[in-house]
Amino acid sequence: MRRRDLLAAIGAASLAPGLTWADARDPAYVSAARHPDGSYRLCGLDRGGAVLFDLPLPDRGHAAAAHPTRPEAVAFARRPGRFAIVLDCARGVEAARLTPPANRHFYGHGTFSSDGGILFTTENDLDTLDGRIGLWDAANRYARIGDIPSGGIGPHEMVRLPGSETLVVANGGIATHPDSGRTALNLATMRPNLAFLTPDGQVRDLAELDPALRQNSIRHLAVRRDGLVAAGMQWNGPKGEDPPLVLLCREGGDRDLLEADPAAHRSLQGYVGSVSFTRSGSRVAVTSPRGGVLQVFDVARRALSAVLREEDVCGLSPAGADGILVTTGRGISGVFAGDTLAAPVTSVWSWDNHVIAVG
Amino acid sequence: MLRFVATCAALALPAATEAQTPSEIVVTALDRHVLPGYAALTEATGALAAAAEADCAAESLDLRSTYHTAFDAWMGVAHLTFGPAETDNRFFALAFWPDARGATPRGLSQLIANADPVVEDADAFATVSVASRGFYALEFLLYDDTVSAAGDPAYRCALVRAVTADIDLTAQTLRTDWEGEFAGLMRDAGTNDRFQSPEEALRLLFTSLDQGLEFTADLRLGRPLGSFDRPRPNLAEARRSGRSLQQVTLSLEALSELASILSAGQPELQAALAMAFDTALDRAAAVDDPVFAGVGDPLGRIRIEGLQVQVGDIRDITRADLGPALGVAAGFNALDGD
Repeated sequence: MRRRDLLAAIGAASLAPGLTWADARDPAYVSAARHPDGSYRLCGLDRGGAVLFDLPLPDRGHAAAAHPTRPEAVAFARRPGRFAIVLDCARGVEAARLTPPANRHFYGHGTFSSDGGILFTTENDLDTLDGRIGLWDAANRYARIGDIPSGGIGPHEMVRLPGSETLVVANGGIATHPDSGRTALNLATMRPNLAFLTPDGQVRDLAELDPALRQNSIRHLAVRRDGLVAAGMQWNGPKGEDPPLVLLCREGGDRDLLEADPAAHRSLQGYVGSVSFTRSGSRVAVTSPRGGVLQVFDVARRALSAVLREEDVCGLSPAGADGILVTTGRGISGVFAGDTLAAPVTSVWSWDNHVIAVG
Repeated sequence: MLRFVATCAALALPAATEAQTPSEIVVTALDRHVLPGYAALTEATGALAAAAEADCAAESLDLRSTYHTAFDAWMGVAHLTFGPAETDNRFFALAFWPDARGATPRGLSQLIANADPVVEDADAFATVSVASRGFYALEFLLYDDTVSAAGDPAYRCALVRAVTADIDLTAQTLRTDWEGEFAGLMRDAGTNDRFQSPEEALRLLFTSLDQGLEFTADLRLGRPLGSFDRPRPNLAEARRSGRSLQQVTLSLEALSELASILSAGQPELQAALAMAFDTALDRAAAVDDPVFAGVGDPLGRIRIEGLQVQVGDIRDITRADLGPALGVAAGFNALDGD
């Protein structure tokens, strides 16, 4: 799309008055989940992780994006799904449904421009298996308005640098095609990266891992207020190598790999499912649902500061100044502060990979 | 009948006339697999530590023989990575492998080069990196040409004694925790905070079986196999002491015993698993290559690959049939893969 149109679209959202998140029973978080009856829903959660409402999804979700001002949450289908549902969290209805172009599927994540005018979605181009970022006009019922290259293959999570329109995309590097399920088609040549993009598709910076770590798929992201990005990786190389799985990185700046002592590190089983900073930014948390473990690192000291073992733990989001909301596939949700899960809520829901803070 | 079966070989099938409850399966697994396994381990590690006290020389036949016996006993419980084994990283303190970055020889060489006095105190030694402790570290001290000859012999002797005493202490602590607390929590699952239901306790045992099979297929066999173009015989587990194939065989025997107990309420499934394990053990016996040195030789390789395929087949049965039969689905997120 043309840069001028794009910039016009960013900014349009602020013209639309209406309801706010306070009208949606004020959830603090949204998360996709599976109900015991087998149906999939998007749930709104309060600060302690208790369910406030749930809205139906056509199939299994993955992550969601919350509009910065309007009480709208976009639930993304699990890869290689072809739906994203905009839910009006005030009225409890579906507000819009996004379907990618015919030769595309979603990867399960997306994010809004700073004012909420544009929704960005990570997508797979099935003709080339190149990663793309889809652009949708949030001020115009989420009409598709174009797309840009993601800067790599297999884009997964995407965040926006605070106070800017720069998108940070975890290009996992793994080419897949729905015809062959989730089979990785390029393990021998994969080269993941972390791409810093302008919304009109210019690459501002590209962070790559050391060649020895090129089978470390960069998947999940969190960003601190000052622009420090934390990325969680998933190892696709030979088992038993146990490479580092957390990258700290700034646009154009230093790259640091974060890793606990060997025994604690191994408990991640080569797989990070979610990443989150605390709001204060002093700590960063990662989960491994395979290992059933949450690890919290002190960012300044680059050292492990707390561990929680909880079966099928995955979802993470900031809670208060220094806490982390944690969700599990076994229905547990609660705030991890200090080194314990305070007042965990046990529910019937299987919480899916990601829990998203709103408002 | 049960008592009779319990005295039979590991592969004997417990009789099953009707489906068992999750709670019954857990109790059987504790009484006939887990607790006897840890009792055997502590007996063997006690003998190991005593042998090192008596003669700490790397060539000591007594020390080497007790090392093998204790490592054999460890293989009976090495797949039980949950509960007391998670506390204080005890699992890794006994068994830090694979060691892709060479942390074990590096850590041991540093201790030796510095003649680190940490060996003088058991509590202090328990704070040493897990890579320098446990069976794999001891293997380097006894069998690695470089490490077993490095530095001052008197210091090496103290280090061997510290490592063996630490192995014994860790094993004893594991046994105490199992017998004193954790087995009780699993038995009473559903009436305590740790286990909200018997299924939760059963799931831990099922996961141990599944991950144990994965470990043997992907790491014990997969690491030395590498790729056809690049076989990696030097990555074989415990190759210095000639145990690589033995580790596979012992793990399959232990996992077979657990699988038999878990499937006791499903006679057909139990028979299918027993047959699959028997095939794998037959293939292991036919490998005739104790340290997988022949992974680069086409004929040798094919036998080891055939064994790996068979372990994968057992895992397929476990996941496709046993898990659903037990009602212990794997994690919603753990299985997701994104």
